[in-house]
Amino acid sequence: MVTTDSIRRSSARIAQMPSFALSVLWFLIHLLISIFFIVLGIADAVENYLISSGFLKRYDAINVGKLRYLAIVVDSEDAMQINKALKLLQWLTDIGVKHVCLYDSEGVLKKSKEIILERLSCAKLYEEGDEKSVLDSKTMIIEFTSQSDGKEALVRAANLLLKRLRSLGENQEEKIFTEAQMTEALKAVGSGGPEPDLLLVYGPARCHLGFPAWRLRYTEIVHMGPLDSMKYGSLLKSIYNFTLVRQNYGK
Amino acid sequence: MLPLRSSVSLEKKLLSFSRNSCPSTITQSLLFPSHGRLVQLKTAVSATGVAHREDDKGVNTGTASTWDLSEPEPLPPGLLRELMPRHVAVVMDGNARWARRRGLPASSGHEAGVQSLRELIELCVKWGIRVLTVFAFSSENWFRPKGEVDFLMGLFERVMESELQNIHRQGVQISTIGDSSKLPKSLQKLLSRAEQYTKDNSQLHMIVAISYSGRSDITQACKRIARKVKDGVICLEDIDEKLIEGELETSFSDFPSPDLLIRTSGELRLSNFLLWQLAYTELFFAQTLWPDFRKTEFVEALHSFQQRQRRYGSRNS
Repeated sequence: MVTTDSIRRSSARIAQMPSFALSVLWFLIHLLISIFFIVLGIADAVENYLISSGFLKRYDAINVGKLRYLAIVVDSEDAMQINKALKLLQWLTDIGVKHVCLYDSEGVLKKSKEIILERLSCAKLYEEGDEKSVLDSKTMIIEFTSQSDGKEALVRAANLLLKRLRSLGENQEEKIFTEAQMTEALKAVGSGGPEPDLLLVYGPARCHLGFPAWRLRYTEIVHMGPLDSMKYGSLLKSIYNFTLVRQNYGK
Repeated sequence: MLPLRSSVSLEKKLLSFSRNSCPSTITQSLLFPSHGRLVQLKTAVSATGVAHREDDKGVNTGTASTWDLSEPEPLPPGLLRELMPRHVAVVMDGNARWARRRGLPASSGHEAGVQSLRELIELCVKWGIRVLTVFAFSSENWFRPKGEVDFLMGLFERVMESELQNIHRQGVQISTIGDSSKLPKSLQKLLSRAEQYTKDNSQLHMIVAISYSGRSDITQACKRIARKVKDGVICLEDIDEKLIEGELETSFSDFPSPDLLIRTSGELRLSNFLLWQLAYTELFFAQTLWPDFRKTEFVEALHSFQQRQRRYGSRNS
């Protein structure tokens, strides 16, 4: 004889079945996607190995000359690992990159520039006009920048233009406050480096952390992940991909 | 390397999710797709493990020309309201390429792009995003073929005329930034009328950057400061970052600096857009061309943004 209780229990069991089915489905999909992540991670690692060891021939003949100026943004906490920064710069030297701008917002790398230049045998400090100089195969020019070269530098440049305006007299704002004059004023206050072609961001956040905004109009920006997990293969791939890019500059 | 690109097809979507999400986020997105084929959702577990109830009533994400003015839409599974960006900026790139791939003229691509913008505005209103800045036309775009430029100016006028009432009904306030003196007089008048007409709206502040240049924005801000110094309103010694920020074209906004920038079409650069304002903005570069950028892709960008906020906290912009 079927009792009310047994009917209620059966109903409850039947009602639970869709939730159970959903949970199983959730688990299965979660498992599949986790496997996918693992496979992707392995594929990444394999690709990095193949690139680093030279098995992928297309990365052998990178047209590094197209990369006139490379910028590296490092999270200031990561920047404390000077050895990592040195390793990265050594890789760039091996690849043949000639001009590098190193940035971290707190200026950790700037404070360590003597150590970095000393430890890299063929590096010299950037001076204005260096971007046009012809360098031998081993030398790399390094510019060290921080927050003071970003918005703070624009403030100093604005102040400089204001002083020039005062000396010229009234109603000369249109002549003084132009983009060309601002660029000159930034050079005059010591923050007039060239616009990077490529900017690599090493850090957890996918933003450029205050890199000098005036210089970022057409810069390609690539997020590389934390400095801790930097890989030679990824670096080479980013530079290779940059050499394939064709820009219209809005036209 | 964690590339910033993502794509539309499922295979490429999983690839991009692997860059930007975790298994939990993907699982719930697949089980409870944002296109909403499920009529009722019992429970959704967010990536943080917080359980909450939602009703997903199957949202129409088609390309209808009418605006969907239905009730406020709950957020898709996995998105947390408290982590939504307040200000989203978008570089709407890829219209011409989209048209070329289909053997159509560039004008068709631009027209198709209007649909994407319409949908994005609706979603921003429904999901409580406060400011949306769209890069409609840069100062460099004036160098494009005259025919294309004239078409674009005409398109802006047509769209503004036809959509103004709908935009106003949604509570969207329109503002424009950029050098409007170069625009056709009729468009200047129309934009001015639209700004006046919608000035009291508060659901969403849409800033249209037209004939805009980030460098010019900074230069003009400094020029305005110079005039204030000349007029004795401020002293030379008072010039600092805040003062310049206060004179930028976006300074009228409640949230002048974007939390999230989305650029479509796979290009990885800012193209002279909001240079000062983007210092600490999360950058999301999508492989999708702008006419194909719809709700799914927007949700993906928001997931990616929120994931980073959960892991690393928000940054001061």
